[in-house]
Amino acid sequence: MRSIRTFLVVVLLATMTLVVFIAALRGYRASMSQVEALLDGQLVEMARLLDSLHPDDFAMTEAYDGRAFAFQVWVSGKLLKKSLNTPDELIAPLTPGYRDGNFSGYRWRILAQPGHTHEQWILVAQRADLRISLAEEVILEAVLPIIVSLPLAGVLIWLIVGRGLQPLRRLAQQLGSKRSDDLSPLPIAGAPAELRQVIDSTNSLFNRLALAFDREKRFAADAAHELRTPISVLKIQMYNLSRDLQRGNPNLDKLNDGIERVNHLVEQILALYRSTPEHFMANFSRLDLHALARDTISRYYDEFRSRDQQIELAGHRSFLVGDRFALETLLHNLLSNASKYTPSGGQIRVAVQSDDSGVVLCVEDSGPGIAEEEYERVFERFYRIGGDRHVSGVRGCGLGLAIVQHITELHEARIELGRSSFTSGLAVNICFPLRIDAGVGA
Amino acid sequence: MLLTSVIIVLREVLEAALIISVLLALSRIAGIRLNWVRWAIGLGVLGSVIYASNTAIVSDWFDGVGQEVINALLQISVYVCLVIFAVYFAATHKADDANKQRLQALMTVVVSLAIVREGSEIFLYLSGFVGDMTQFTPILTGGLVGAGIGISAGALVYYLLLNLKRDIIPYLSTVLLASVAAGMAGQAALLLIQADWLPSQQALWDSSQWLPEDSVSGQLLYALIGYEASPTPVQAAAYFGGFLLLLGLVALSRYRRKSHADG
Repeated sequence: MRSIRTFLVVVLLATMTLVVFIAALRGYRASMSQVEALLDGQLVEMARLLDSLHPDDFAMTEAYDGRAFAFQVWVSGKLLKKSLNTPDELIAPLTPGYRDGNFSGYRWRILAQPGHTHEQWILVAQRADLRISLAEEVILEAVLPIIVSLPLAGVLIWLIVGRGLQPLRRLAQQLGSKRSDDLSPLPIAGAPAELRQVIDSTNSLFNRLALAFDREKRFAADAAHELRTPISVLKIQMYNLSRDLQRGNPNLDKLNDGIERVNHLVEQILALYRSTPEHFMANFSRLDLHALARDTISRYYDEFRSRDQQIELAGHRSFLVGDRFALETLLHNLLSNASKYTPSGGQIRVAVQSDDSGVVLCVEDSGPGIAEEEYERVFERFYRIGGDRHVSGVRGCGLGLAIVQHITELHEARIELGRSSFTSGLAVNICFPLRIDAGVGA
Repeated sequence: MLLTSVIIVLREVLEAALIISVLLALSRIAGIRLNWVRWAIGLGVLGSVIYASNTAIVSDWFDGVGQEVINALLQISVYVCLVIFAVYFAATHKADDANKQRLQALMTVVVSLAIVREGSEIFLYLSGFVGDMTQFTPILTGGLVGAGIGISAGALVYYLLLNLKRDIIPYLSTVLLASVAAGMAGQAALLLIQADWLPSQQALWDSSQWLPEDSVSGQLLYALIGYEASPTPVQAAAYFGGFLLLLGLVALSRYRRKSHADG
């Protein structure tokens, strides 16, 4: 993912560098022209000075042997005076103006200017390399600080952009650290104007979500709870009716089946809503999952025996921190599913193992199993593979594995479906992470 | 000296920065990890130092025109690699891991070769002033300004491309790559003319009055579209031929991919 901070810093710094450097180059060029004009002006002054001297004065002056400047004074085509660093020949044609030329091993800027008498010509020259380096030295003094200050500007921009993005980072942290059931509003005090709208909209969304959750919870729980009483009345009426009518009446059996199914559905809906992470009032304690599995199997043993199914419990004592009621519900749902979908005479194996990483519960059966592409969907509420036309012919409400998933999430465990170790069938593996206070195999 | 230094460094850095920016933007949209660029720059810098250090030997090859010929070969290699990359990128609609690795390898080769070529020029220029302390400050300052402008322009092109609509990026990047690649082909032709391997001809036109090559804008255009103020017919043919060949092959590759997907 791209970082806003990197983007802003790179783009700001690149734009600044481009603008500043191009401006500095323009400044450099303009300053160079100014300095060139100034130095050219010096040549003019020198030429005037030499022109103001009388020919007799030249005879008295000592020979000039400069490094940066050179001159020649010509009268009527004869060399009257010259600096030692010039040759005896003309260093430039006798036409007024500036030109560049080479002599004495250097490149020179030469000014040719007629003297106050028509016969006299003054030629003054300045070494081109010294002119440039002098000009460059002057201008670099101005340009260099701009270049040197850019890294500092980069650090400052990095810090300022970081500071500017702090409220956004804080908001992301607040949202990231929220628990899934925490729908409390985000604090708006002190938030910058740009984020107020975002926080307002998020808080409004949280509020609507909380109300929707509450409505859903109350509706489902109330409906399920209110249905329990008429179902109990129906059961009593059913019992009375079965006493009055002949036993084995097929209509009576169907009615009984229907009432049991409605009763199961209502109980499962209640269990589902009790186990949702948003509503679950957990009562966590240290418990032995192996012992809990043993108790649950013995409680529902008649169910397996009635279908002539073999059930086996493997593993050893494995302690974890969990909610006893929720884990009982989880085990019951897994065992009930295994029993339902395993044909008569089939096998079910429950294993509870523990190691350094945590406790693993595995429930596998020798039923028909589930196709891999269905693994995700079976956890959806009311989803049943093939609907009521499942090959097993077993009727259910499609809530069992949804409840199992809720309870798994409550315990921060991981659930995985796979093929059982029998010739066919489903294996459900639940890995409970180890908590420091649980201990292993104690 | 400062201006000369700016122009030389800017010319080389800008070209490499543009290639890197466009390839990085394409990597982003193809979901290719960007770690290849570190390898490419490292290999390129190492290669350029080795190449520049052996210029004297290289220059003696091919009857004294070894440097021109090898530089032209480097430019042609970059051009060919850019063509292969652009065609391969256009042919792979959704790059899987194997395709991504191939694209990464191609990009590494392109950038390394480009840096060897551009970097060796900078290294040669700077090494000419080693020991001359009077020129140290203007040369270094000019180099920094040139590199700063080149890298900044590259960074802006990268973010500009990434901020465009996602489906436009491959098209614009291909056009940019085609202009940079065609510039390489044009430069290779110029180097081969200098080596007398290609005939020297009269310039087709001369635009140095309006836009001198040694100005900052001239250098920007040189890196972007291979601007030459007075190109010969061979250079112009290499430039336009190279440009149209790359675009044509990419268009063909896209067409074949599309007809394959439809069929």
